[in-house]
Amino acid sequence: MQLDWLLQPLLTQLNTGVLVLDAQYRVVFFNQFIARRADVDLAKVQGNLLEDVFADLPLAWLRRKLDSVLHLQVPAFSSWEQRQYIIKLAHLRPLSSDSQYMAQNCSMLPLTAPDGVSRYICLLIEDATDAYVYQQQLQQSVMQLEHANRTDGLTGVYNRRYWQQQLGYEIQRAERYQHPLSLLLFDLDKFKDLNDQYGHQGGDFVLIELSRLIGSLLRDTDLFGRYGGEEFGIILPDTGMTGALQVANRICDTVAQHKMLYNQQTLKATISIGVVSYFEQSVDELIQRADTALYCAKRQGRNRAVAYQPELEGYLKKVK
Amino acid sequence: MTELHFTDVQRDCLQELVNVAMGQASDKLARYLGTFVHLQVPAIALVEAALLSQHFASRYQQQSATLVSLGFFGDQGLRGETIMLYQLTNVGVIAQLLGYSDDAVSEAEMLTDISSVLTTTFLSGLAEQLENSFSYAAPRILSSRDRDFADKLAYTAEQWQLALQVDIRYQLTDYSFNCDMILLIPGEAVLRLRQTLDNILADF
Repeated sequence: MQLDWLLQPLLTQLNTGVLVLDAQYRVVFFNQFIARRADVDLAKVQGNLLEDVFADLPLAWLRRKLDSVLHLQVPAFSSWEQRQYIIKLAHLRPLSSDSQYMAQNCSMLPLTAPDGVSRYICLLIEDATDAYVYQQQLQQSVMQLEHANRTDGLTGVYNRRYWQQQLGYEIQRAERYQHPLSLLLFDLDKFKDLNDQYGHQGGDFVLIELSRLIGSLLRDTDLFGRYGGEEFGIILPDTGMTGALQVANRICDTVAQHKMLYNQQTLKATISIGVVSYFEQSVDELIQRADTALYCAKRQGRNRAVAYQPELEGYLKKVK
Repeated sequence: MTELHFTDVQRDCLQELVNVAMGQASDKLARYLGTFVHLQVPAIALVEAALLSQHFASRYQQQSATLVSLGFFGDQGLRGETIMLYQLTNVGVIAQLLGYSDDAVSEAEMLTDISSVLTTTFLSGLAEQLENSFSYAAPRILSSRDRDFADKLAYTAEQWQLALQVDIRYQLTDYSFNCDMILLIPGEAVLRLRQTLDNILADF
């Protein structure tokens, strides 16, 4: 059976771009797939240099690839994952993709004419836009999951697991670069009374409102997390005790002066803060010391920041 | 299952064909890359794929490596996969080697590009020696530098059970650049390869 007639209709119908270049990288042939998507007419551009037919090619890279095909007589490849597209071609998902151009997988194959001498290169271009779109969606989902995984659902600050993990990293960093590092641990004063008076929704409202307020007082590099219940922690990288106490006092004052409107009622709250600076302690020791300072702040009348000192341990024993 | 082993004659024949293909590849690559490319005489072994990862783990102990895989198909059921192993502190070497300078080329792209050049040049020569021709899949990065490659290799090896392992080290002198290629031919295809070797031997 004579099958030669198949070739032309197949090339026309093929859902893959076929582009043939000669050894000078002049356009010899392309099929309908490319003609329609690039809106070019083969008859008008045949014999022209590749870069004169298709605009904005990554020319230096592409020439090097084509050189390898020609000189080594081996195929070369390009994947959309590394290079989204080579030739600017329209794709069939203009509405559902954020990419203007078709994502492409391209194989570049060496061809030799029947004369056994003339070399050509065939570029096969496959539309990978669907894969590209799915991967974008996947990446987005992964980012959302990562965000959810480190965030406290109620207040939007870091959750305890992530925060404590970061504390470990910050300690390593402080150790390595000999930078100061401080930690604030604070607790809402008489939170139980708030809950009793305004209900748990009122308590939640205060937690959300104060998290937002305190967050606005911090630097981008500070790490603010919910330690549990109404207890929160703030990691202050590159900050010594003096700086940390200033921050703590500012937070205390700002919170105490802040009026919150809940169900037509004006609400006020105060917090107590324990402050500790890193000096070769472990994560647990550091938190333990901040907790001791926090406890002393409570004992000394609340609405204040107290810096950790070893003497506090004795104070703690006495009151216990 | 048919006993998968090579006679000494078959092994010598394969070794010789691989040597020839390597010589050709070395010559072509040197001209294309503009640097002397030394391919060390390969170690050919029929291995249990499960042991592969141990073998390479001991060689690359406690160091991270990048793996790039490239699959190939030939006639008569001959098929396989090459895995290139790189240990690079600086991919800039590859950029220089490939002459990429004024283009924004990602690390991943450099690695797949150099892998494709190094492996297909050798493989197409080997195919010629075997009176075959190969078609290739696009190279894929199996693991990036920070992942544990032994795990990855173990996972890849699961699909192979018994494989012919050809171990080739590429050394590019001007750039003090090394990489290793493992050529894996799975059990079924090893039988076909053995048949091909017998045919070649019969012609002599």
